[in-house]
Amino acid sequence: MAVCVAVIAKENYPLFIKTTPTDNELQFYYTVHTSLDVVEEKISSVGKNVNDLRELYLGLLYPTEDYKVYGYVTNTKVKFVVVVESSNTALRDNEIRTMFKKLHGAYVDMLCNPFYTPGDNIVSRQFENVVLGMMQQD
Amino acid sequence: MSRQTARGGDPRKVNGELFTLTYGALVAQLMKDYENDEEVNKQLEKMGYNIGVRIIEDFLARANSTRCNDFRDVAEQISKVAFKMYLGVTPVVSNWSPAADEFSLLLENNPLTDFVELPEGHDALIYSNILCGVLKGALEMIQMDVDVKFVQDQLKGDNITEIRLKFIKRLEDAVPVGED
Amino acid sequence: MADEVLFEFLHMELVALIHRDAVKDEKDGCIAKLESIGFRVGQSLIERFTKDCSRFKDELDTMKFICKDFWNSVYKKQIDNLRTNHQGVYVLQDNKFRFLTQMSNGKQYMEAAPKYLAFPCGLIRGALSSLGINCIVTAEVSAMPACKFQIQIQRM
Repeated sequence: MAVCVAVIAKENYPLFIKTTPTDNELQFYYTVHTSLDVVEEKISSVGKNVNDLRELYLGLLYPTEDYKVYGYVTNTKVKFVVVVESSNTALRDNEIRTMFKKLHGAYVDMLCNPFYTPGDNIVSRQFENVVLGMMQQD
Repeated sequence: MSRQTARGGDPRKVNGELFTLTYGALVAQLMKDYENDEEVNKQLEKMGYNIGVRIIEDFLARANSTRCNDFRDVAEQISKVAFKMYLGVTPVVSNWSPAADEFSLLLENNPLTDFVELPEGHDALIYSNILCGVLKGALEMIQMDVDVKFVQDQLKGDNITEIRLKFIKRLEDAVPVGED
Repeated sequence: MADEVLFEFLHMELVALIHRDAVKDEKDGCIAKLESIGFRVGQSLIERFTKDCSRFKDELDTMKFICKDFWNSVYKKQIDNLRTNHQGVYVLQDNKFRFLTQMSNGKQYMEAAPKYLAFPCGLIRGALSSLGINCIVTAEVSAMPACKFQIQIQRM
């Protein structure tokens, strides 16, 4: 499943980032950071293409040798980035889509917690559990 | 992905999320304004009481309920009619005391607490305490002095949410001033 | 789904609570507080309501969503009239605004209206702010229970 899941605020700072235990955690941070440019590009190209369905799911942002990076943006401009291993061929577009939907649902519920201040780091246990579920090997 | 067209539904109902979130924002505001959880609990109960003494009129007008003969009837009306009508849930009436003057409302799904995760260090907060106030206020208007409190709460890790109601005494109809 | 009577009472208690401890000249502060509570609720609501929507095209597209879908979800009706000067001012008119239908017509009630409109104004501002539109929302009542919400966009 996913090796890194990140939630990025509207203003492009991280609200939440979780990676599988690795020595190379920094590399994921870098990957996520880099992917934001691609996200911005995809969002700002809205309207230029008539066939653009303006979906929240942005699809594959870019592949690297070892990883594939996928993106999703909510209507409130919060971005979700999911990194999976390129070797994991079982994960098709549909599975990734489902994963993002689930993450989005968890994010909305988390935001609705009256004790959460929008824009703060996400520390919700329920949200974390959903993310951990996405990262479990199955 | 097309735009959702919101369903009309029952005009007497408001969006459940609006209700839950407004209540949540209210509790969060109280926690900012008051120093300790006990004070917040007290405020919530007070607000609930104010709602209870007024909502009973609406209830009696709409529910068409027959006169309650005993506390068991009252329990049924609260769970099957009042909770259903106002919150859309039906708590289970249970744990009667032998003298039938005490019972519990068991809530598997408390609509007030959807999405809520209590912040740390607020173990004394009774998040849904407004419900106790509403019940107390409403019952007082039909001449019943009842003690209402939470004994279990899923927000605090219990398996179920339990509100305990204990009948204390019948209140006499409005006591004239000075004749106590 | 909760009952509207219960929600109305809750809102009235909220208004009363905020005003209870305040002294007279703090009136503006009370309005601001109620507005900010509405703002927070609006932020959550819009996140839920737009969960399955495609991305918005532009400002007008967003505004139409507020008038139709948002209003419908919150108030069970649509805005009756939307007008704009195309320079960042939108006027949303609701001929039968839910928060006012229980109030009678009369001068003393008109004076109380701002207290009860602060929360709804906050709802709109919170929703729009989450959608990337910073604005000031004010409400005006000329005849109960009709209400006009004016949205003034703050350009960066």
